[in-house]
Amino acid sequence: MMMSKNSKGFLKKIVSRRGVGQVLTAGIGLIIISAVFAIINPIFGSWNNISNLLRQIAPILIIGIGQSYVLITGNIDLSIGSVVGMSCMMSATLMTRGVSPLISSLITFVACMGIGLMNGFLVARFKMPPFIATLGSMTIARGIAQLVNNNYNTDSIGENANTFRDIFYYGKTVGIYNPVWIALILWLIFNFVLSSTKSGRHLYAVGSNEEAARFSGVSTFSTIMTAYLVSAFCSMIVGLVNCATSGAGTMDSGTSYEMYAVAASVIGGVSTLGGTGILSGTVVGASIWGVLQNGLQFAGAPLAWRNIVVGVIVIISVLLDVVFRMSKKVTIQKEEKQIQ
Amino acid sequence: MSNYFVEMDNITKYFPGVKALADVKFNLKSGEVLACLGENGAGKSTLMKILTGIYSKDSGTIKVYGEVVEDMTANRARELGIAIIHQELNMCHHLTVAENIFLGRELVNGIKLDNKTMNQEARKTLDSLGIELDPTTLIGDLSVSKQQMVEIAKAISLDAKILIMDEPTSALSAAEIRELFRIIKQFRDDGVGIVYISHRMEEIDRIADRVIILRDGHYITDMLYQDTNLDEIISHMVGREIKEKFPQVECKIGEKIFEVKNLNAGRLVRDINFELFAGEIVGIAGLMGAGRTETVRAIFGVDPKVTGEIYIDSKQVTIDKPIDAIKAGLVLAPEDRRHQGLATKLSVRENVALPNLDILGGIFGTINRSKEKKMNAEAVENLKIRLPNVEVPAASLSGGNQQKVVVGKWLARDSRVVIFDEPTRGIDVAAKVEIYNLMNQLKEQGVAVLFVSSELPEVLGISDRILVMCDGKITADIKNEQVTQEQILHYATQFEDKKD
Ligand SMILES: Nc1ncnc2c1ncn2[C@@H]1O[C@H](COP(=O)(O)OP(=O)(O)OP(=O)(O)O)[C@@H](O)[C@H]1O
Ligand SMILES: [Mg+2]
Repeated sequence: MMMSKNSKGFLKKIVSRRGVGQVLTAGIGLIIISAVFAIINPIFGSWNNISNLLRQIAPILIIGIGQSYVLITGNIDLSIGSVVGMSCMMSATLMTRGVSPLISSLITFVACMGIGLMNGFLVARFKMPPFIATLGSMTIARGIAQLVNNNYNTDSIGENANTFRDIFYYGKTVGIYNPVWIALILWLIFNFVLSSTKSGRHLYAVGSNEEAARFSGVSTFSTIMTAYLVSAFCSMIVGLVNCATSGAGTMDSGTSYEMYAVAASVIGGVSTLGGTGILSGTVVGASIWGVLQNGLQFAGAPLAWRNIVVGVIVIISVLLDVVFRMSKKVTIQKEEKQIQ
Repeated sequence: MSNYFVEMDNITKYFPGVKALADVKFNLKSGEVLACLGENGAGKSTLMKILTGIYSKDSGTIKVYGEVVEDMTANRARELGIAIIHQELNMCHHLTVAENIFLGRELVNGIKLDNKTMNQEARKTLDSLGIELDPTTLIGDLSVSKQQMVEIAKAISLDAKILIMDEPTSALSAAEIRELFRIIKQFRDDGVGIVYISHRMEEIDRIADRVIILRDGHYITDMLYQDTNLDEIISHMVGREIKEKFPQVECKIGEKIFEVKNLNAGRLVRDINFELFAGEIVGIAGLMGAGRTETVRAIFGVDPKVTGEIYIDSKQVTIDKPIDAIKAGLVLAPEDRRHQGLATKLSVRENVALPNLDILGGIFGTINRSKEKKMNAEAVENLKIRLPNVEVPAASLSGGNQQKVVVGKWLARDSRVVIFDEPTRGIDVAAKVEIYNLMNQLKEQGVAVLFVSSELPEVLGISDRILVMCDGKITADIKNEQVTQEQILHYATQFEDKKD
């Protein structure tokens, strides 16, 4: 009797914690969607397709990690897509001008972190509403993407960049495409930081109640800054992936990625209000996004329908979260009363 | 060498439009409980926030353990062993009890958080406070009084040498208060210096060794508690004597205005039946969790009713939502000012106008500015709300003045029934009397007045009739003539023995 009650309480605690419940629900959803697609079209389940699918998911997961960091602090980063574009255009332009891929990537890194810094300062130091601040930097970063090559897409980044293209897109390691490995490594690092370190704890605290965090001696400035830097870093990486993919810089690279990143986070249970969500959720969210795109394509659905379905899924997952929270609130009230 | 833990001199602090502190001096010794007293807005919380590095002073010096501290920050204060429990709850709802207790000073193993040790330590602290609570529970899942206890545990776990408590008891039950006082005394005997802020005079009587009094941002005096008495303290606080703490007016009981029959709404609201008559004030007494707030919420239509009929002026009214109640002439000033009572980011003017937009309407749905202005002027005047002007955000007022705005916005319209839930929580002695006077005025105007209060002296002091609740039921409905605290406590704990 005691035991079962305790273990039940334990389970409930796990599930209610930071949106684990929603990750599980979304995970089940993912399995169901994948199964349906596999039945409709057997090719969907082929190794070849799965391997491509994973490569499709990887960039969404990477920007999803960045956006999740920012969302957990209760803010938002709208500049992600433009930073992706800026990273893509900048690295490509440099490479077409004969700069080595490594140096090009480093310069790109510095520039993208500049945008992250700017976001961090505007939101954390000058207390600008994050929506407005990052809307501004989004426009600026897109402008830079257009400026670096005088408002033209770049030529091919050339033979010199073949290793670069392998590392970021075409190559495989142990049978799996490299961008998947990149996503995995980033996920492992950032998941560890978020779940097991002081900085991670502070991200949740600031998102949950900024004032309480500040009163407890947490530096809200460096916490929010960290989130925006991580987000800019992730966007930079995805920009390099895009550059490697097309072998040239395109000015509209990364368009709407910030929204995909929000979708991946939110489907996976990261709250846009801050304080909750885990990166495992972002994996599930990004996967649902990828599976839907890929599966619907296989099922022959036009782009318009893909958009509609993804939109509906985002709304449903947030709705689920709301319902879940409401029912939880009711049980708490009931329990509290029983105790009293 | 000085024997003071804290010495603050000539502290001055301005906020936009207000001089919150003017040349204030303050000191604290080891091993004493120093009660810091003053009216709402006197500057008590501000002074303590300066000492703990949350606000920066505009001028003055702060010495801690005899050494001047130039720029105090929250972290610096903690390193110096200064802990504070803030007036308003400040917890991260998404984090667990232990995570909140260790927020900002997490224990680590290398770079990894050491959750196991933190949970153990948190449990030890909770145990020492006599709180049965799993440290891995989410804060958002706890009742307000439990959250307050965690806030206290958090401060205590710092092993502070200087412990500041800003109205720690306003949400606690009697048993929890007893436990807290036991701890405070133990800390004092261990040599901790404790600053205690409260508007509940009987608490000051129970634990203060010394008192320091502020008024209008000025230091007035400080004295050993044994050399003074509550009346003297109060007259220093308000600058005049308060003759009657519980003003009474005699009224003839008139016709029946309000009746609730067979109200059921969950476990804490069961078979509620009572009536209210013109010309009387009815108080609802009971312990924390007896269902008093739940009952008035159900009446006002905030929470759904399972069964129940409500009559106003002998006409049955259907109340499903607060707007139904307001239209029927019934209003409720809720207990939690920050969440239910105020839109804290809006100005005081907008807050007062919010529930009264129907009567402030100009043509084409516009708001009649001059009526709005007049309504605000009256509210500020009647309740003596202390503010630079009505355009400041409600959040910038001192706690007690926020409470007055909550009461003021509901009194700005003519109603038949006015319900107050803990109307004087966090309000200073003088302002309490003003609120009682307002309640008396309503009574004279023939409005039915019902109020919930956890302070028994207040219930006994101003009610004409008392309802006692225990465990979701009304256990007594008695005329307030020669009723004693013991009697009320008896009714309030009627079912306690039978439980378990
Ligand atoms: N953040 C702020 N911004 C503007 N004004 C403020 C702020 N905090 C306090 N004040 C003002 O400073 C004065 C002192 O407020 P304080 O909160 O210190 O009073 P208090 O003595 O703690 O009162 P109470 O007993 O009601 O809590 C008040 O006039 C208040 O309006
Ligand atoms: Mg205060």
